[in-house]
Amino acid sequence: MAVVLDGIAYGLQLALLAVGLTMIYGLGGVLNLAHGQFAVVTGISAALLLDRGLGLPAALVIGVALAAVLALVTDATLMRAVYRLAGEARVLLSLLLTIGLAFVIDGLLIYNYPFTQLNVRVPGPAIPVLGVPMRRGSLAASALALLALVVLIAFLRYTRQGKAVRSIIEDEEGARLCGIDPSRLRTAVFALSGALAGLAAVAKAMTSSIGATEGTELTILALIVTVVGGLGSVAGALLAGLLLGIIYTLSQVYIGAYVTFIILLLAAMVTILIRPSGLLGHGA
Amino acid sequence: MASTELPVGTADASTEVAAVHHVPLWRAYLPVIGAAVVLAVVPLVIRDSRYLLGIAVLGLAYAGYGVGFNIIFGNSNQLFLCLGALAGVGAYGTTILGNEAELPMLVAIPASVLVAALLGAAFSWVSVRRQLDVIFVGIITLTFSLMFLNLLLGQRELTGGETGTVVLYDAGIVGARGLGAYYVFLGVLVAYLALHRWLQRSHVGWAFRALRDDELAAELSGIDVARYKVLAGVIGSAMVGLIGALYANYEGFISPTTFELGNVDVPVLVLVAFGGIGTLLAPVVGSTVFTVVDEVLRPFSQLRITVYGVILLALFLGFRRGVIPTVNDLVRRLLGRG
Repeated sequence: MAVVLDGIAYGLQLALLAVGLTMIYGLGGVLNLAHGQFAVVTGISAALLLDRGLGLPAALVIGVALAAVLALVTDATLMRAVYRLAGEARVLLSLLLTIGLAFVIDGLLIYNYPFTQLNVRVPGPAIPVLGVPMRRGSLAASALALLALVVLIAFLRYTRQGKAVRSIIEDEEGARLCGIDPSRLRTAVFALSGALAGLAAVAKAMTSSIGATEGTELTILALIVTVVGGLGSVAGALLAGLLLGIIYTLSQVYIGAYVTFIILLLAAMVTILIRPSGLLGHGA
Repeated sequence: MASTELPVGTADASTEVAAVHHVPLWRAYLPVIGAAVVLAVVPLVIRDSRYLLGIAVLGLAYAGYGVGFNIIFGNSNQLFLCLGALAGVGAYGTTILGNEAELPMLVAIPASVLVAALLGAAFSWVSVRRQLDVIFVGIITLTFSLMFLNLLLGQRELTGGETGTVVLYDAGIVGARGLGAYYVFLGVLVAYLALHRWLQRSHVGWAFRALRDDELAAELSGIDVARYKVLAGVIGSAMVGLIGALYANYEGFISPTTFELGNVDVPVLVLVAFGGIGTLLAPVVGSTVFTVVDEVLRPFSQLRITVYGVILLALFLGFRRGVIPTVNDLVRRLLGRG
């Protein structure tokens, strides 16, 4: 039971990390391979602000805001060229350009702040959940992830803008005919995905830590969860995150060591081969 | 499956295939011979600097990877993000067969190259069967790369984990360090280029061209798309695997870092795109430029990655066709044959 709860806690973080990636794919048909780097930007900037003596909440808020701004800038610059293309060519160019962006960010951060780490300690004794004592940091991270995901889903379901976003994911041309401007919403959602990556960094900092070298690993994790859940599906990312989180912790406890990550990758590969559109994706 | 033109210069690759069919044999192979001659005199220029020669050998190895990638991606639109892993299969396969099973290199190298080729065949076959988009082929092969890397790190007894392993076997083929090794790698590269040109000129080249332009139309006009895609996957993967195996023998030491995504796949993608994806000499031109750039940037340590990022961005934002097609156009315009 303890293992399953740990898996759920980890899975919520994975889902939070992946959900931004899946939304911009659904909305713009682009894949952002600098997603993990956006998270790292939040982590490093918040850590630096804390060093300068800023309060924790302010540092975290500014860190998350910076990731959103970075995403906004990316959309306004690099993605302009990408949106001019369509279909497969668009995905491919977005992938190549964001690899470039990821390199730029990685290089700068690792060079300038090789040892900077963001740790957010949540002090206090463990709290029992279903009879299992859970660390406060882990609970706080789960609560943060859950809150962000619930707010996001509520936004998509019940607000005008949210419905517009879903209609574009469903059918871009149709949405345009109904008077929705996809490019403005795309920019907004890109910024939102940056903020979500930033929140994922905060959640990670509550359970472990986040540093300059972790961008690529985070991007890959987000990518795996996104693909397993179905590119473009928010609910799919949530389901896949939880599923993979549980698989990960289970195999970590019962099989152990390096095999864990291989099992995670194998699960992703099998899902792609059986259902290329992902668990909850639309038909390919 | 739609016939959208890919963002990287595949149209130029088609032009090249069309062009080489209408020229006499010697002119078709002229670029191969030219490259061979130019690269053959490089050791004379760098004299007896062992350091520079080592870097030149590395450059040839990257050009070799590039030809393999060019055949797979440039000719059949399959984005293989597992070049490092395939090279690693060649390298670790050869080393383990040599060190543990004590097989002679002449058996160990072909055996591990065969494994790499079969893996390539499997990826191609699966993606054709499941009708995966370019992106999904990329993701599947990327997943394989990561699995392979973790396997290397995990199987310590065989691979030495992250510290790597020494190639105990005294290789007979690339045993020669320095100059001899340079010419072995050059020979392999020239053979790769000749094979690529031969493919371009044969019916295979036409099939590649057709399926790259429009897969559905190619299928409808009777081209066995699956067969040609698998063929490209097999040939390209075997090429990459062989370079990996030879490199292991030449270096005498391999570690997972040698075959990391960031150390093989990314540079190869960049250098081939720089030269012009799908064009014959792209790997040679790209590798030459990047070997020099890499050497110049060496003192900047981690900032090097940033510079690569900037180059990648500039390349795909403003210069998507690559050097070779651009230069070709320029020459044609200057000669008034546009």
